[in-house]
Amino acid sequence: MSRSWKLWVGGPVLAFLVLIPFLELQGGYLQTLGFLTFLYITMSTAWNILGGYAGQTSFGHATFYGLGAYTTCILTLRGIPALLTIPVAGMIASLYGLLWGYPCLRLRGQYFAIATIGVGEATRLLMLNLDDLIKNNSLLKGFLQKGVLTGGATGLMLPTPPDIQAYATAFYYGVMGLMFFALFVSWRVKNGKFGLGLFAINMDMDAAETVGVNTTRYKILALMLSAFLVGISGSIYAQYVFYIDPQTVFGFPMSIAMVLMPIIGGIGTLIGPVLGAVFYIVVQDRILTANLNLGLIKLSLSSLHLLVYGGLLVLIILFEPKGLLGVHHRFNIWWNKRKRRSLAATEKA
Amino acid sequence: MIVSAILLAGLYATMSYGLALIYGVMKIVNLAHAGVMMWAAYVAFILIVHLGANPFLVPILIAPVFFVFGVLLQRYVVQRVMGAPPISSLLLLFGVWLIMQNISYLVFSGDTKAVTTKYTLMTFQISGISISINRLVVFIVGVLALVVLRQFLGHTYMGKAIRATAQDKEASKLAGINTERVMETAFGIGTALASLAGSLMALIFAFDPDFGRSHLLKGFCIVVLGGLESMIGVALGALVLALAEALSVLWLMPALQDFVSFALLVIVLIVMPGGMKELVDRLIRP
Amino acid sequence: MAILLEGRKVSRNFGGLAALLNVNFQVRSGEIVGLIGPNGAGKTTLFRCITGVHPPTFGRILFKGEDISKLMPHHICVMGITNTHQVVKPFPEMTVLDNVRVGAFFGKGWVRGEVKDATQEALRVLEFTGLTSKANFLARNLTLPDRKRLEVARALATRPELLLLDEVVAGLNPTEVDRMIRLIQQLRESGITIFMVEHVMRAVLSVSDRLIVLNFGEKIAEGPPDEVARNPQVIEAYLGKNYASGKSHYA
Repeated sequence: MSRSWKLWVGGPVLAFLVLIPFLELQGGYLQTLGFLTFLYITMSTAWNILGGYAGQTSFGHATFYGLGAYTTCILTLRGIPALLTIPVAGMIASLYGLLWGYPCLRLRGQYFAIATIGVGEATRLLMLNLDDLIKNNSLLKGFLQKGVLTGGATGLMLPTPPDIQAYATAFYYGVMGLMFFALFVSWRVKNGKFGLGLFAINMDMDAAETVGVNTTRYKILALMLSAFLVGISGSIYAQYVFYIDPQTVFGFPMSIAMVLMPIIGGIGTLIGPVLGAVFYIVVQDRILTANLNLGLIKLSLSSLHLLVYGGLLVLIILFEPKGLLGVHHRFNIWWNKRKRRSLAATEKA
Repeated sequence: MIVSAILLAGLYATMSYGLALIYGVMKIVNLAHAGVMMWAAYVAFILIVHLGANPFLVPILIAPVFFVFGVLLQRYVVQRVMGAPPISSLLLLFGVWLIMQNISYLVFSGDTKAVTTKYTLMTFQISGISISINRLVVFIVGVLALVVLRQFLGHTYMGKAIRATAQDKEASKLAGINTERVMETAFGIGTALASLAGSLMALIFAFDPDFGRSHLLKGFCIVVLGGLESMIGVALGALVLALAEALSVLWLMPALQDFVSFALLVIVLIVMPGGMKELVDRLIRP
Repeated sequence: MAILLEGRKVSRNFGGLAALLNVNFQVRSGEIVGLIGPNGAGKTTLFRCITGVHPPTFGRILFKGEDISKLMPHHICVMGITNTHQVVKPFPEMTVLDNVRVGAFFGKGWVRGEVKDATQEALRVLEFTGLTSKANFLARNLTLPDRKRLEVARALATRPELLLLDEVVAGLNPTEVDRMIRLIQQLRESGITIFMVEHVMRAVLSVSDRLIVLNFGEKIAEGPPDEVARNPQVIEAYLGKNYASGKSHYA
């Protein structure tokens, strides 16, 4: 019953998503929205592998996103085909994860979270100033091309392709594929040995260690896997918008988004991060364009979306740790009870 | 340069001690600290620029208000997650911070604000070193607050109860201490210190709703450096950080000043989680 | 009988304080060895040294002749030593079955990657420990006796050769104590060597082949239970005058 219900709703939704580029509704608006949603679902799912399954809350995932984006831009500007840079971006992000993850993951709980904020901010500032640093160093000067590597605060620009419509459509499907890949990875992790080890780490690290889980290695592998997917997302984002700068791709808001989405949707679950990402994008999209008229006062709501997420985060932590999925679950229980009660009532009658 | 680093250290110590107090008593990492500092900066801005209040009295006026805010926050929000894993309280306070930040965006917009008073540019000379009066007063107010607090913790019932709870919550409860009241008070004091630091910072730095994040990280760095329990440790940590920043401006690039303190945070967390005290211990007793 | 585990001058300091001092011990294959001593004698510390949670500051621990004193806990587990925790540590939000599956997957004889095989192994262990009917409960909803059983089951699923039991009987009522004692005897029959810390004298005296007594971090006696129970030093240090005067509630 519930399976067929899922098929009836899921099938048409999927078909609609596939057909969006052909329908060309509202001049590509839906296509852009879809692209962003898929991208954010990928990142949300990736963060969830480390933050949800293994329980290591990272506020530093923007480093992977930014590094992926920068890897692609830097390599593409040096004549390497853009598509080839995608796996490279993932790997570099992953290696960077190893670099800071190895020391930081020895810290527990809150300390790890704080260290990741530090890592994220330090990385952003480093990228902001990298060109100036290199300029002052005779050994590294060779990496600059026309005096530019990362472009400092102005960032980097990629050339736009001739047929931008077809290009965007190709990326729409590409990122959709990436999203399914990320979900597949997440599903495999969750139901396999790896996921079981991560859950054990999440629940009780010492106990996990005494029953044979190599907690250090598992946490690092989870971080690297997570970083790989986020790095690829960054790479694709850069190719889609042709322009990146440190504040956008390395900024703290990017890290925050990756923390918020899975928690809002339902941390540690497979579908939760998807729900959270969809919610995040829709709210952002609606609110960014909305204005509130209160008689005399006219408020622009453009910065209100973080207020919504912040409020939701507080409510979720206080009342429903499993996020939107948990709310859905509660609703189901309530609904079934009501149905049973009304059934009993009719029987009595 | 060194003098201004020391003056800044006084301010950093005020800010960090609030964090250390809350962590010590409740084992909570208070991310909302940044939000409180930012709000305090705005309140100070309104009072000084729009209402013409004396800039050096404002912080002292603000602190009690934020004390109440902190107590209410603890009683009605944070208290609910005290039994849960520590990470949920961190996320909860992170949410509170986001809310505070966005309320400021709504009310004040994202423009950078700065408080300029007649004292801002005043300096005086002592043996060739020019010292900004503004920074000196800020330093004095910050240190005064710490001294008062130290007296409070050392000589009153509530102060002793706070210290007892920080050492062993269960034992304190058994000894008849109302630990919930203690936690509320500690959270209130921590918040008041944050507001004090925030309003003092408004006199020195420009700020916007995102103000406080980098200072928060610096605060963590100081607290970890100084060890979590001792006030002298925190003061020393503040001094080390302020000096490291000053030196990074001198030797590296000014733009990398914050980079140095964040990198220091990560390194300190990893290399010596017990802070400088542990390092000293290790050196004395190899 | 071959020596399975051997400690040579095992010492452990905590910030200058000696919790263990030059403790020598041997555990032979197939034995049940009891480790007793007053509170704070260093029993749990010794277990933590063996499992690698707190490696010894000085001295060596050999397992089947191999030095394990510098290995990580998970490595030691895979070699065939597992422990249960004094304060039970189930994975609270996981089902009982999943708790045990973690052990089956990551322990010594882990079945190569196959979820099905690990599940089968876990079910077998649940059957053995009498938890089958609660396989789908969340671990946090179990009662204390069941949690203690789960702790044993999870350790068992790693297929240890040597099982360290840290107070698995403490806190149980007499009927449950008997059940646990039977379980321990069954474990020995299935070929597992057992080293156990226990405060409940009835349990430890009835199942142990040999006792080792610690006091203030040092070994003060070793031998068969009845012999140790008569040792004046032990009586003074641990059992107290109560026992000496024959009015013991322990025995």
